[in-house]
Amino acid sequence: MKNVDLHHGAATDVGLVRKVNEDSYLVAPPIFVVADGMGGHSGGDVASQMVVEEFQRLVEVYDPTRGAEHVADAFARAQARIVDYGNAHRALQPGWHAGTTAVVAVLVDDHGVAKWLLANLGDSRIYRITEGCLEQVSVDHSVVQELIDAGRITEQEAAVHPERHVITRALGSPEGIEPDFFLLPLGSVERLLLCSDGITGMIDDAVIEDILETVADPRDAADRLVRAAVAAGGRDNATAVVVDVVGLVKDATYDSQRQLQSLESKLGGRL
Amino acid sequence: MSTEARFATGDWYAVVGDHATVLLPGSQRGRVAQLWDLADSGADLDAVLDALLAGGLSSLDHFALVAHGDDTTRLIVRGAPSAAVSSGSGEEIVSATAGTTWAERVVTGVTSVRVTLTGDGAVEHVLTPGLARVSAVEFGAPAHATATEAQAEPEARPEPEPVAASVPDPEPEPEPEPEAVEPEPQAAPEPVAAAPLHFGEPGDDPTPTGETPVVQDDWSDRDGQTQVGVPVPDFDRPPIPGQEMAPSVVSQPVASLVFSTGDVVAVDRAVLVGRAPEARRFASHDQPHVVTVASPQQEISSTHLEIRPGAGADHGSAIVTDLGSTNGTVLAQPGLDPEELTPGIAVSLIPGAVLDLGDGVTIQVTNA
Repeated sequence: MKNVDLHHGAATDVGLVRKVNEDSYLVAPPIFVVADGMGGHSGGDVASQMVVEEFQRLVEVYDPTRGAEHVADAFARAQARIVDYGNAHRALQPGWHAGTTAVVAVLVDDHGVAKWLLANLGDSRIYRITEGCLEQVSVDHSVVQELIDAGRITEQEAAVHPERHVITRALGSPEGIEPDFFLLPLGSVERLLLCSDGITGMIDDAVIEDILETVADPRDAADRLVRAAVAAGGRDNATAVVVDVVGLVKDATYDSQRQLQSLESKLGGRL
Repeated sequence: MSTEARFATGDWYAVVGDHATVLLPGSQRGRVAQLWDLADSGADLDAVLDALLAGGLSSLDHFALVAHGDDTTRLIVRGAPSAAVSSGSGEEIVSATAGTTWAERVVTGVTSVRVTLTGDGAVEHVLTPGLARVSAVEFGAPAHATATEAQAEPEARPEPEPVAASVPDPEPEPEPEPEAVEPEPQAAPEPVAAAPLHFGEPGDDPTPTGETPVVQDDWSDRDGQTQVGVPVPDFDRPPIPGQEMAPSVVSQPVASLVFSTGDVVAVDRAVLVGRAPEARRFASHDQPHVVTVASPQQEISSTHLEIRPGAGADHGSAIVTDLGSTNGTVLAQPGLDPEELTPGIAVSLIPGAVLDLGDGVTIQVTNA
């Protein structure tokens, strides 16, 4: 697989209402994760952090030719830890559960060709910019999404539906996990967005599209998305990870030093 | 001093660890939950005090902290609680004078410590590591008992040592009751399998600082009320009308696809063909084969068609579905006139069939 140059940005905010940020994210090229934890009593932030930790661990041993297998394994390890954690707490508090959504993007090597492998569980989302337009790639695992798919409600009705918070799949679920995977050619993704529902629940797709298409630097774009969600009410933790595929390059892997240098050169004129 | 402890029931919380005990008013539920983790892991007084003060003193008007060392006992009292400490050198009452931050003592040779929080109830329950609701707590032998043991004994008043062994532990609840009770009514009425899992309401967040939200929340959505509902299998890939769901992966390929580009692909799972094919919503164990074909004239769509093992009447053969391609697909089956595939309608392929995608790309179907 040729090396692919990725530029990325990430931002998160607790919002204006909640007191704890239960979102976690990982930016470790070529692995990107956003997880939105659920549960009071420090259950949610621990659960989402466990997902991030398992993918952080994956970074060191990641083999792009076995991407789907690696991602599925990391999910399984995170699931086991969250279930254990939930069981330990349930001994003290009956009915207590910890859980988290997760959206993951990794670069994989599909028979020598670099591709995006995406995965999701729950109602965090993956969007892409393709041919200049925003497109939601992941399909929410939620009751309202199923009702929309069945043609029983419209997206407008979903926004006010009483069961809009009920998700049908999550890490930490005793039923086990069943992530959806997506395999996209690199060239079909000009820009990738991973975000929690604190973004998508607060600002419309049109606003997301506008920010992703007008803000060139992925760090600024992630920041703008989170700030827009907070400015719109900030009812939930908001997290955005934006990744740009800059192009296929011969011999340079992405490294944070280069990103730092590019930041310095941008600031250079003003220092 | 013996570290054996007893308590009288009340509405304060006692967080009892191996080395340190924290006493907090009923309003400090959030801190209690945090401290329990720490106390249970054997933290010493300094670590517990650190965590206790992390949320700031302004929201912490009353507390008492007792820690037992090898032969010293350290005691901190703030606000209402007062402690009676008996040691070899006599008895002392420790309480914070109004206006001071707290009162602190380090006493050696302590025989007993009684911390009075509210009321003056008899300390008749054994206090073991865990959480308890208390109004008074006493460590070590009762102050009066050491002096008047002979006379106290005949009275029916139970003594610490024998009682500890014989009285059934009156403290079966290691968690704060109000929280434990709350989730249960929600889960109980429904059958277990169908009840959605509750991940706690936003108000349940125990945070260092607050009992009340920063903003009065009259919004009802997108504020962390996400729940997990009942999983619904197979809503994602609607089966082709009139056909059984195809198995995602089969052990023996049902056919082999020979591309005009030279690629040969076995149909043991879904095969997606296009100019830049995208595979959506698959599980990790049934990742489709994706075959990219060049299309200089753009006649082939990005994800043009799918070929997969058939099910039901088509079991054992491959079926092809045009996925709504822009320019369509022509299928020539042996002995039949070429036909244009109808998007979304699967057609069974027999060996020798040829699919024409445009731009000179054809796929020949052969036996596996």
